[in-house]
Amino acid sequence: MPSTSQKPQAQRNLFRIFFDWFLRRPESGIILILVVFVAIATIVNPTFLSLSNVVNILRASGFTMISVVGMSMVLITGGLDLSIGSTFALGAVLCGLAVTDWGMPVPVGILIGLLLGAACGTVNGFLIVKTGIPPMIVTLGMQYALRGTVSVLTKGVPIYPLPDSFTDLEPTKIFGLPIIILIAILIAIIGHVSLSRTYFGRSVYALGGNQEAARISGINIQRTKMLVYILMGVLVAFAGMMTASRLGSAEPSTGTGLEMKVICGAIIGGISISGGMGTMFGAALGAVFMEALTNSLTVMRIDVYWQNVVFGVVMILSVLLDQYKRSLIQRQSIKNTELKKTATETTSGQ
Amino acid sequence: MSSAILTVKNIIKRFSGTVALKGVDMELYPNEILALVGENGAGKSTLMKILSGIYPYGSYEGELLLGGKVCKFQSPADSEDAGIAMIYQELNLELDLSVGENILLGRYPRSALGFIDWKKVHREARTALDMLGVDIDTKVTVRNLNPSMQQLVSIARALYRNPSILILDEPTSVLTEKEANSLMDILRGLKDKGISCIYISHKLDEIFALCDRTVVFRDGEKISEYTKSAGYGSSKVIEDMIGRHLDAMYPVRKANIGEEVLRVEHFRVAHPFAYGKSIIEDASFSLHKGEILGLSGLVGAGRSELVSAIFGALPKQAGKLYLEGKEVNINSPIEAIQHGLGFLSEDRKKNGFIWTMSIRENMTLVCLRDLVKGLFVDKRKEVQLAQEYFEKLSVKAPSLDTQITNLSGGNQQKVILAKWLMSDIKILMLDEPTRGIDVGTKSEIYKLMQELTDLGISIILISSEMPELLAMCDRLVVLGKGTVQCEMLHGEANEVNLMRAASGT
Repeated sequence: MPSTSQKPQAQRNLFRIFFDWFLRRPESGIILILVVFVAIATIVNPTFLSLSNVVNILRASGFTMISVVGMSMVLITGGLDLSIGSTFALGAVLCGLAVTDWGMPVPVGILIGLLLGAACGTVNGFLIVKTGIPPMIVTLGMQYALRGTVSVLTKGVPIYPLPDSFTDLEPTKIFGLPIIILIAILIAIIGHVSLSRTYFGRSVYALGGNQEAARISGINIQRTKMLVYILMGVLVAFAGMMTASRLGSAEPSTGTGLEMKVICGAIIGGISISGGMGTMFGAALGAVFMEALTNSLTVMRIDVYWQNVVFGVVMILSVLLDQYKRSLIQRQSIKNTELKKTATETTSGQ
Repeated sequence: MSSAILTVKNIIKRFSGTVALKGVDMELYPNEILALVGENGAGKSTLMKILSGIYPYGSYEGELLLGGKVCKFQSPADSEDAGIAMIYQELNLELDLSVGENILLGRYPRSALGFIDWKKVHREARTALDMLGVDIDTKVTVRNLNPSMQQLVSIARALYRNPSILILDEPTSVLTEKEANSLMDILRGLKDKGISCIYISHKLDEIFALCDRTVVFRDGEKISEYTKSAGYGSSKVIEDMIGRHLDAMYPVRKANIGEEVLRVEHFRVAHPFAYGKSIIEDASFSLHKGEILGLSGLVGAGRSELVSAIFGALPKQAGKLYLEGKEVNINSPIEAIQHGLGFLSEDRKKNGFIWTMSIRENMTLVCLRDLVKGLFVDKRKEVQLAQEYFEKLSVKAPSLDTQITNLSGGNQQKVILAKWLMSDIKILMLDEPTRGIDVGTKSEIYKLMQELTDLGISIILISSEMPELLAMCDRLVVLGKGTVQCEMLHGEANEVNLMRAASGT
């Protein structure tokens, strides 16, 4: 017989079910972090949540999010790309040169920038796949080589002024939102769908989870790796060009230290530094968090020099979180392995 | 009889729930080379780990007496200090250090100023090498030496520590016959200098030639003991090693064998550790439709390497592969899968499953390509297919989306099997499919193998468990010394002649 006292019980159950579901989502960590952070930042300085500031944060998030999409794929395969800051600058500079000195139309300039990004990614991927040099070393070398190329091309002088048709691109707004965040969200959605719904996406996860098992299962490891580095290059070059459009000039020094912010955003968004785990949705939120953090530090008038200290700490903390999560999953597997090991030791001797 | 220098007294070693050593007594006398033989899992390695201090005092019951005194080793260093030197099957040398540095590793003499006295290092290393009568430059980097030279360096390293007991675990597995013979001469020389040896090997011919006494282990117990002076008999020793009967775990094999589906000709495969050597020199065999072919051989005979090379997971150095009479070129697992080959690898955790993935994702890893509709994976079809095999193989798990790491070894193995069964395979290669798996699942896997061959699928089975091979295989190919030693049919193979063929006696 239904009574009135059962209703709150049912509600509580519903809440519980939702809560359990929420906690089990891979994105729950970053959502909680983001909510708590926004709350604290707003309490410290109420202007943090003002419309204009939120739009500011979103606009900045756009650039980071585009790069985080690429970085997430690279990280999930178990790779790393430290060269993105330089690709970012080189894409902007090359595109800037194309539309100014070489007198090319803007779409062609952008195409050249994107192709450059693809080329950088191809070199990264090729070296990693064919030589077996660790991604960290390959892309660190590329970071310097590409940054050097930027200096050679520009002699350290910004490319300025850029044509109006180029500088008008980034400030465009749709429904009052900066176009860059809309593009970024679109890219993140495409990234999310391709990770979760396509064969390519499954290969990316398989590769990061256990490369040897993936290889034996007939997954084309080399092609998958090449592809993620190429995508990374294209996306970050695009972000670089959009930054040039925003600033009205292609600066040779842009993108310095970008890799730090992007890797940090991806990891805090739940992408595992050791590969195989994480979702694009979480990583995209991680990008927003990184920009919210930068913005709040500025709003709170914290010295720029201190900001790097904060980033460094956040980076280490987010990796710590990742390791804790992995250990939770692996604890069960270790328990199983130990049982297996004793069984094997008694049955097969070694 | 003189008094023993080493006495093992009623040692019992338990692992959570199982007993690896069930009260073993054993003695080692001065100037003696003692052989330890037994199948995998007999307890030899466990006992050696106790002797070398890997399992510390207190983790086992019973006593270890060295020269009449009870030993309480807490670590391998304690055992070393007490005069027991162990030479492991896998070489554990520092490849980029010189021979001299390796021999004195951790015991470098210091000069008055506290620096390492390099002259003395090389002088002492020279002395140790001279004991073996080998002429290797002590300044050469170990990486540049061939495997047998490296083996000698590790023996010299053990000798430098001035042991009274030398333990060698399968020392000849990387050596050629000639090198093995000279190693045995060296051991005889050491015996004359007063060093006792414990020699573990599967190769009975070596043991009979070298060892004064042979102790047979089985299922954690010392079964019997033979002395050279009384004469060895290989069939007696082998019977003691096996000593058990086939049980009812295996289905009665009903084979319906058709035409040839696979032929391997003159395969050569590189040795995984020994650079420049081939673990498989020249192997040829064929497989027929609906047949279960067993690959037998000792550990290190190259069985896993051979099937890995057939599957394209390891590069082959030479050889041809024919599928249904046509020559095919398989250089990667992708190509192997396209030709209808499947490969269940030996080490589940290393390259069997992907631990970050669920049961479903692990199951559909191979066949996922065929489930792509347009741009996307057809998730409904994927779930349907996975569910079908989940039920067919009765995987015990809460749901398809359970992480594979939460399953027991047997259920993990079922998931990996499902991965191959879901794709369109004609030939399935199973490398130790029942290792570390409970008896119930084992018997399910055997039944499944029978069902698969009924469907016309051919199976190559690698197993270290001889009863399994004898019960399941229609034909056995014995590998040894890099080639096929012999082939036996279901009826004619038994544990004795199989072991004989594998150990070369």
